[in-house]
Amino acid sequence: MNGFMTALRSEIFVAKHTFVSKLALIFPALIVLTQNFFSWVADTGNSARNNLISGGSFDEVIASNAYGYFVDSINTGITMLALLMVCIAAHSFSYDRDSGFVRHILIRKVGRTTLILAKFVYLHLLAVTSLTVLLITAYFSTGFFWEYGPVVEDGFELISEEEIIAEIFLGLRLAVIPLPAAIGFGLMTSSIAQTATQALMTALGVTLAVDIFKPSLGAYADYLYARFLPSLVDTSYLSEVSRLVRGYSDVLVDDRILQMNLLIPIPTAIIFLCINLLIIKQRKL
Amino acid sequence: MNSSSEEEIVSVRDLSKSYGPNEVLRNINLSVNKDSVLGLIGLNGSGKTTTIECMLGMQNPDKGQISLLNKPASSIHETNGGVVGIFDTPSLHPNLTVRQSLEHAVLLCDKPTRKPNDVENLLGVEKFSNYKIKHLSLGNKRRASIAHALIGSPKLIVLDEPFNGLDAGGVDDVLALIKNLNREENTSFILSSHQLPYLETICSHAAILHNGQISASGAIEQLISEEKLLVQLHIGNSTSAVQLIQSNPKLELQSIDEDGCIQLALTDMDSADLNSWLVNNNVPVKELIVRRSSLSKLFKKLTSEPDK
Repeated sequence: MNGFMTALRSEIFVAKHTFVSKLALIFPALIVLTQNFFSWVADTGNSARNNLISGGSFDEVIASNAYGYFVDSINTGITMLALLMVCIAAHSFSYDRDSGFVRHILIRKVGRTTLILAKFVYLHLLAVTSLTVLLITAYFSTGFFWEYGPVVEDGFELISEEEIIAEIFLGLRLAVIPLPAAIGFGLMTSSIAQTATQALMTALGVTLAVDIFKPSLGAYADYLYARFLPSLVDTSYLSEVSRLVRGYSDVLVDDRILQMNLLIPIPTAIIFLCINLLIIKQRKL
Repeated sequence: MNSSSEEEIVSVRDLSKSYGPNEVLRNINLSVNKDSVLGLIGLNGSGKTTTIECMLGMQNPDKGQISLLNKPASSIHETNGGVVGIFDTPSLHPNLTVRQSLEHAVLLCDKPTRKPNDVENLLGVEKFSNYKIKHLSLGNKRRASIAHALIGSPKLIVLDEPFNGLDAGGVDDVLALIKNLNREENTSFILSSHQLPYLETICSHAAILHNGQISASGAIEQLISEEKLLVQLHIGNSTSAVQLIQSNPKLELQSIDEDGCIQLALTDMDSADLNSWLVNNNVPVKELIVRRSSLSKLFKKLTSEPDK
């Protein structure tokens, strides 16, 4: 435990004094801010044009609801965060090994297994912190540009605010569950690869390749953690929530998909971690 | 050095290591006693770094047992900073400054005995305190690495090629530091290098690694004294002198050059005995030069031997 805390403190110490972790904290939030700003500019332009051409419309009412933009923001933010975390995890151990930095820690205080576990925990702390920053930024920036409220059509409340919030929470929970697997995959690549560059390229390449090919895998894709993670080719439930809270859809999450979303990612993360620990025991550092 | 003792802090038994089909180390046996400074000497590619990496648990050996401060190499971290390693490539985080690296070392120590400021001054890197490691010269990176190692009070410091990249002043500083730590704090050292003149001045013991095996090991004085005394003679009538020398079993004629200069190896005889014996046998000695045995000569001799 002493070694674990030392390793964790070491990770946090390095994070405090280097750029990469700060990038992970700020970048998804910055992307969200930028996205919201440009959406607001486009939205304002469209509203002005529609007002000139005709009166208000259903589209206009629901489009101006902040919840839709909030979900879009966190979807984009988590997509960026997941990609960043895969890259940071892939770079973390391999870079320490390339520079020899890991040797001091291993010789003086911390066992190999403990070091990997500490890195795994640290990366999760980083992801949680970044996600918190992202959610706060998304909430306040969407609130700044648009107004939060229920979906209303012709004076009737189609979806209440409570229902919207509940669905957003579910979508968010399902979107975040695969993050440990993404981190585990990055860290495993970090242990396997010969250099930091190789680790980074492999982790990013495989992540993007899986992302591209997962729609063509059909039902088999449900066994991949990446199927449930917001990504460039998005098949996560959070993308459905975006349509739901805008009133474009009333299809809730399928029970089977919900079960797979809850069951697949965490065991995958544990498998990646176990492979990682097996590799790290054997390899030259 | 190969005999066990109660004071033994490093023990390597039958260490073997291969990289694919290439056998790098073959049944290496080494031991380091408390308070000693062992020089691990070998040509480039002889397996010094592999030996050190196996000792420090950075590589798994194919065969053999290694213990440091009574802990196996794979659990070296359980010595709680009792052992530190300084590698041939300075192993500090490139994006931390010198001061931050030293603060990181404090974080790794249970009881840091020196402050970052003190070790910076000790190693002469105080003016680079705010420089990132990646911006330092190789010599200053090495100084910073040594400073990093000195934050705690290790019982054993393992240095791989400690003099690489250091200027003359830097080498002197490191030599003085090693001597000082060994004398005043009883810190033991393992130094891997092929810089024999430096090692000869600070090492109490040496192990010569050649072709993946230990060719010789022990106290340096003992190793050198086991060598035959070498003498260079310049005498008038070399033909008759050569016949006389060849008749003496204590003398081994090694070579005669074009100028009539004779190289001899002496067994159970010193240079004064040789001189008087030659004079008594009517061989006038114009010049007699004793070639003192040294670690360098022993090393050259051992490493020029064919592979066993």
